[in-house]
Amino acid sequence: MKRGLLIATGTIGGLGVVFAITPPQFGGGTLGGGTLGGGTLGSSTGALSSGTTASASPITSTTPTPIASSTPTHSSAGTTPVPKSTKKSATKKATPKATPKKTKTTGTGTKATGSTPTPVASSAAPTPTKATSSGSFTGSAVSTRYGTVQVQITVTNGKITAARGVQMPARDFRSQQISQQAEVYLVQETLAANSANIQGVGGASYTSQGWQQSLASAVAQAGL
Amino acid sequence: MATRTQAQIEVWGTIVYLEIWSNTVDELRLKEGIAEVEHFYREVDEVFSTYKENSVISRLRRIEISIEDCPPDVIEVWNLCAYARELTEGSFDPWCVEGGFDPSGYVKGWAADRGIGILQAHGAEHIQINAAGDLALAGGLVDGKPWSIGIRHPEEAHTVVKVFEITDGAIATSGTYERGAHIRDPHTGMIAIGARSASVVGPDGGLADALATALVVSGKDGAAWFLKPELLEYQCWVIERHSDSAWGFDPRSIG
Repeated sequence: MKRGLLIATGTIGGLGVVFAITPPQFGGGTLGGGTLGGGTLGSSTGALSSGTTASASPITSTTPTPIASSTPTHSSAGTTPVPKSTKKSATKKATPKATPKKTKTTGTGTKATGSTPTPVASSAAPTPTKATSSGSFTGSAVSTRYGTVQVQITVTNGKITAARGVQMPARDFRSQQISQQAEVYLVQETLAANSANIQGVGGASYTSQGWQQSLASAVAQAGL
Repeated sequence: MATRTQAQIEVWGTIVYLEIWSNTVDELRLKEGIAEVEHFYREVDEVFSTYKENSVISRLRRIEISIEDCPPDVIEVWNLCAYARELTEGSFDPWCVEGGFDPSGYVKGWAADRGIGILQAHGAEHIQINAAGDLALAGGLVDGKPWSIGIRHPEEAHTVVKVFEITDGAIATSGTYERGAHIRDPHTGMIAIGARSASVVGPDGGLADALATALVVSGKDGAAWFLKPELLEYQCWVIERHSDSAWGFDPRSIG
């Protein structure tokens, strides 16, 4: 164990994977460009090139002996893990398929309608109608349960290069959290829209209906 | 020419974003796949939500039912959680949660993976499912390159601090920033202090999710887990709690 840690630590040091987190800002203009791939980000060592999704390991062999030493604080004795074979239970599933009535669980829930996914098919080469539009466009202010959301986008040559909330709900801590997360989600969308060299953002994302509505109106104003 | 289809599914109190590219399958078929994923995710919500009083998990937590009475998916997740607990030496322990068994730290990544399978069954080739920050990916990009996935800074939402290139697999991130300090150290019952944010890349989304959570608990002590033969295809990237620095470990790098 100790040796393993030493190896790990040594390797980490040797690889120089210890970065100072001084990454590029998503400021005006840099988003669509190439700054995200290289520069201060460090090398991307993904290298998960081929493996297929699913080599998890044989569950059947798992014997989750409740590791007594490491789980001193079991809160309910009745729920110690007992591995059950899926097959066995399949025969006697008393599946209490909870209420068929769909209650919407979104934290923002300004709309009560059952949200349906909105598939948008588009051809590979999105061609902005006005490839030349530039400037800042502020979307409409949309009120949500958590406060007012208003989005401003910066457009350079027909591409969204920055987006920020000019009005974000921040009434309390929870709202602040949601605000931050909503912004993350936008990054994902913005990046996708610009075919920048990142196709997704991990780490936590959340969006609100309000954000999307305001964004949509900003985008409409920009004529994108 | 490749067709891109996107969708957003509002579920689990958050948004799941899907992006599919296909050279062969028509849009209609892809939309059928998306509809099936949505249906499955709503079912997952009904079954696994700890916020829904009548969900299977809620009833299991109240000990109204036992694990034997649960649907196969719940039993599968139960067993996978036990496996993850073993690999992380107890740092991921959904049984050690106030109120009883709470697999939330596993289910998002697990469900993202299952979504990939559903879409592939409908003929999708290049797939990204972003389940609120935990991603499952398949097939790389249309041009054969891997997906480039950025990891955001824990506090600065618009800042990407790291990029991973993934063709097939998952990337999960846990941190204290998502919903406040919501990760507890199963060993002590206190708020986890091992790391501010931890990302794990590997073939299985559920396990990556669990490992990321466990790394937030254990910090650098968790690097040793990745030397286990079961985790040879997994790597981690962790942002320190008190300094603005990060460390990463990829077992393949030490041959």
